Order: sequence, then structure tokens, then C-alpha cells
Amino acid sequence: MNTDDLIASLSDGVQPVGRHAVGLRLALGVIGGAVVSILLISVTLGFRPDLWLAMQGPAFWMKWSYTVSLSAGAIYATARLARPDPGSLRRLWLIALPVLVLATLGLGELITTPRSEWLAMWLGHTWTKCPWLVLALAMPIFVGLLWSFRQMAPTRLRAAGAAAGLAAGAFAATVYCLHCPEVSAIFVLTWYSLGILLAASLGALVGPRLLRW
Amino acid sequence: MRANEDQLRAWMIGGLDGDAAAHASLLRALVPLLRSFYRRRMSAGPDDIEDLVQETLIAVHTRRGTYDRDRVFAAWLFAIARYKMIDQFRRNRRTVPIEGLEDMLVAEGFEESSIARMDIGDLLATLPAKQAGAIRATRIDGASVAEAANAAGIGESDVKVSVHRGLKALAARIAGQRL
Repeated sequence: MNTDDLIASLSDGVQPVGRHAVGLRLALGVIGGAVVSILLISVTLGFRPDLWLAMQGPAFWMKWSYTVSLSAGAIYATARLARPDPGSLRRLWLIALPVLVLATLGLGELITTPRSEWLAMWLGHTWTKCPWLVLALAMPIFVGLLWSFRQMAPTRLRAAGAAAGLAAGAFAATVYCLHCPEVSAIFVLTWYSLGILLAASLGALVGPRLLRW
Repeated sequence: MRANEDQLRAWMIGGLDGDAAAHASLLRALVPLLRSFYRRRMSAGPDDIEDLVQETLIAVHTRRGTYDRDRVFAAWLFAIARYKMIDQFRRNRRTVPIEGLEDMLVAEGFEESSIARMDIGDLLATLPAKQAGAIRATRIDGASVAEAANAAGIGESDVKVSVHRGLKALAARIAGQRL
């Protein structure tokens, strides 16, 4: 095709694009995926029966603050990497901040708990399932983000994939709190983070292949 | 004269706001920029270059939402152009060390030099035509004073004086901007 004809057809019927197009589209992908994840929980795992009661206690909010702040950081990183010129990424180490805060809380927990109960507190009742469930619930959100990326222009595909995986994992963990009955900080620090990390690694693995444009 | 950053950015923002004419002007102005970008760094034939230019134009169009209006347009454009070229290398399975390639391209400084050229264009436009022409011929295009004088149909001393006065005026202008 002739370049002039191409330009004519491209500029035929130009749709306006808003200032926050990148953020909106990413939000749409994440929320769309999260709705599917919530449906999956309600159908297969079920919400925790004492959810309303738990939401009045501190443990639930400890978990949510961790996963929500991690999601926010990861989505910010994804939005940066969705642009061809992401600029300096040095400030992204701030994503580690929630992990540090939770680790501090976990340390406090260990100090105030007798040593004989440490193992039970660390493993909870669901440590064998938790990381895998977080990873599984991250899949719909990751697919949602892949949809978002169809209008993005990432140039560092592996980093963008990792950020999208991290965002999907952290948001899936947020959703998983609706089911998970665990209460200890070191449980969340270990097993939630492991699931989130698995999702991020998967994202880094498939990013260069799936995010090409 | 090549379109400058401000002009390209204005067209880009016009296109983002739904102005089809501005969008078309932008894409047309990008064609020569992209052609010289790819020609400088690839040994591909004209058809391959044109394919890449077209692919880049399509990417600029379909992914224009990723342009942040507060940032430099040229940086966004050349990041896309560079990505498309590396993708092309990868598709052709040429053994190019991709990791090093990007640094190499950045180090070559094409973007900086073309942004700088746009700036110079802006500055020269503020001078009288004779001075601007003399500076462009002798200092940018690399012609000798005699050649410049011949081309412009004026005397050699006239060229020298024009260059001198023009540069002095530019220096004063830049110093004034910094204050």
C-alpha cells in the first residue's frame, strides 16, 4: 500500500483519545479480570462465612492494606511500562515498602507469641493451597491486562510482563482475602507473597511473547 | 524545513482531541523523519524501509493513547521507531545482540541531534533570511564561504558579515532566555 493512501485511511474518522486513556484502560482490564476472579471464588471456594465479622477486626485490614498497596504500586509500574518511553524506573523500589511494613508487623507478632506456636502461626491451616489459589485467581486479571495492553506500546516487554503479573497477583490476593480465613502477618508475608511472586514470574516469562506488537 | 518539536506535538495533541486534519498533517510530517531514521541505521532496501515506516505510522496511530501530553513528542516517537526496528531484526532472525543494540542506538545520539536540529531551526527562523541562510550553509550544511556566496548570489564578505552578525544575535537571544 502506498504511504499516502495509508495516511489517508488512518486519519479517516479519528477518534478522540482522553488524557487518561492508559490508566482507564488498565483499570478496565484489572476490574474486568477481578470480577471473573470474584465469581470464581463464589462458585468454587465460597466467601468466608464470617466475612462481615472479620471486616470489623484488624487482621482483615492488615491483609488488605498489604495487598491493596502492593496492587497500587504494581499497577503504577505497569502504567509506566505500558508507554514506549517509561522514563526512570528508579522510584519503583517503593513497591517493596508494603513488604517491609508487613515484615515489621510479623516480627512484632513473633515477639509476642510463644515460640512453641510459631510454626502453627506461620503455616496456618491453608499454606499448601494459598499460593496456588492466588496464582490461579491472578489468571483472569492477567488476561484482562493483556487485553488492556493491546492498545499500549511497551518497549521493555519482560519488565512490562513482570509488572502486569505482579499487578494481577497482588490484585488476586486482594480478592482472595474474601475467602481466606488466615490471620497472621507472617502467613500473609510468606504464602500470599509467594503466590504474587509466582504470578509476577509467569508474567516475566510470557511477557516478551504475549506483549509483542 | 523539517517540522519542529512544537509543531509535531501540537499536531499530535490535535489528533488526540479528534482533529483529523491535524492527525493527517502529523503522519505526513513523520514520513521523512522516519525514513531518514531507518536509512541511517539499516542496510535494508527502500521497500523494507517503507514497510517499516508504514508499520511505525500504524503504531503511532493505534497506540497514540500512550503519548503523555506533558512529555517530549520526539522521545515517544523514536522509542516506537526503535522498537519497531528491533522487532524487525528479531523477525528476520538476524543474529543481532539485542541487549547491546538498544544502548548502541541511544549512544549514537540520533534523537538528540535531531531534536537539536529542530531547536536550531526554531532559532534561525527568528533571524533575517540572509543571516539565517548564511549560517545554515556554512555552519550546518558545511559549505565553504565561497560556495555559500555563490549559491546565495552575494559577495563572500557579505556572507562572512551575515554569519558573524547572525551568530551574535543568536548568542544574545540565548543569553536572554537563560536570564
